[in-house]
Amino acid sequence: MFGKLLKYDFRSMFKQFAFVWPAALALALVNHFTIDGIEGSSSVGETTAGIVMMIYVAILMAMFIIALIFTIQRFFKGLLGDEGYLMHTLPVKPWQLITSKLLCAVVTTMLSVIVAIVSIFLILPWDAEAFRQVFQGLDYLFSHWNEEMTRAVFCLLEVLLFMLVSLATGYLQLYLSMSIGHLFNKNRVAMSVIAFIVINALSGTLLSFLPSWDAFDPFASGLRGMDLFQRAIWIAIGTELVHSAVYFIGTEFILRKKLNLE
Amino acid sequence: MNELLVTCTALTKRYGGKTALSGVSLELGRGRIVGLLGPNGSGKTTLIKILCGLLQPTEGAVLVDGQGIGPYTKSIISYLPDRMYFSDWMKATDLFDLFADFYRDFDRTKAMSMCASLGVTPSDRLKTMSKGTKEKVQLVLVMARKAQLYLLDEPIAGVDPAARDFILNTILTNYNEEGTVMISTHLISDIEQVLDEAIFLKDGQITLHDTVDNIREREGKSVDALFREIFRAHNIEGGAF
Repeated sequence: MFGKLLKYDFRSMFKQFAFVWPAALALALVNHFTIDGIEGSSSVGETTAGIVMMIYVAILMAMFIIALIFTIQRFFKGLLGDEGYLMHTLPVKPWQLITSKLLCAVVTTMLSVIVAIVSIFLILPWDAEAFRQVFQGLDYLFSHWNEEMTRAVFCLLEVLLFMLVSLATGYLQLYLSMSIGHLFNKNRVAMSVIAFIVINALSGTLLSFLPSWDAFDPFASGLRGMDLFQRAIWIAIGTELVHSAVYFIGTEFILRKKLNLE
Repeated sequence: MNELLVTCTALTKRYGGKTALSGVSLELGRGRIVGLLGPNGSGKTTLIKILCGLLQPTEGAVLVDGQGIGPYTKSIISYLPDRMYFSDWMKATDLFDLFADFYRDFDRTKAMSMCASLGVTPSDRLKTMSKGTKEKVQLVLVMARKAQLYLLDEPIAGVDPAARDFILNTILTNYNEEGTVMISTHLISDIEQVLDEAIFLKDGQITLHDTVDNIREREGKSVDALFREIFRAHNIEGGAF
């Protein structure tokens, strides 16, 4: 059943982004051919290149704003609005509904980031010599591989993991805020915003009581460089996971026990 | 399979300080058509929402086919809410796919033939459909299932008398005869003919639950007449709680 939920959530996501992602890539491609005009001699070319670049940047920004709105709407309308009458009477458990929405939102954001990165590469000049040099560099790197580099790769992966977990935590905080907001019979959107602010303040206050700040202090911990960095990043990941767990449990409890559809 | 399809024990639901249901105990068997009758605000929608898992009772217990409300009971209940519940980008056929995926008892062929007889084009986007057509799509979704329990919340409230007959006819010709249909309404005269049992709900309490035949025999009047007598003081202009 969970797989089927994912299927429908991803289907609505692709409907939403079927235009935005290709548009961002297509505009990047157009920029690739017009970008030389920016520093060119013709003022027409300059203006065209400038406008095309502006549209590209606008589409890229729109893409991330749409991803955020999509995340909020799929939860607010899909589970707490009229569509909730359908979703909450399907033979599934509330945690499955939340997890499916969350996975879909995280994947949507990641795909948007990937589209943005690919689009930047599309704009850059396609220079065979530059590619050759990059590959030569990689070749050199692999032939001189050492422990430090393995460690650097791990650090990079840890940073990526931290970003992913933070993203999920952020979305779960939104979910909990909206779930709290929907408990009110009036002004649900305003109450959701207030809930979000209060949760932020509470989690900030609680964090300040944590004794673990010593871990970030090179003198107190006695750690240096990569060691210190790695410890810090794992503490940060752990903190985010604790937040996620609290937000998820809160949201699940509200949907299971306190559902209050209009 | 449990002999009793629905068992409610001392069910109470309070919203803040307001009591919507108060100590409702109810048993329903199988293969029955039951009218859940009461004026606006008597708790009909609340009771139905508790049965289909959209609300949690404040006190008391509910069993459907011997089980607490959860994925199993949701898989055997077909629920028609008093509002539209789908997103506009979908087509009726997308909804049929969804129902076929989630409910094993959904009969797609039946849904398509119901669409044909109701004059609905299932490949149209819901966005382009009129309100009445959307309601028909929702009715098709609910009645194309071979469910154990159909919970129909005010299916005939918002439509003209001709359409009422049409909707009732669709319900009666399509429901699973081994299952039970519960129809909530305040328009009793329109459905009295088809009911096996009637439940009168007043201020969140069941004041009467009996077979329609028994009621007529004992009271010497129709269920509609009895309803009017009991609820005379109330405004019975309908709508959901």
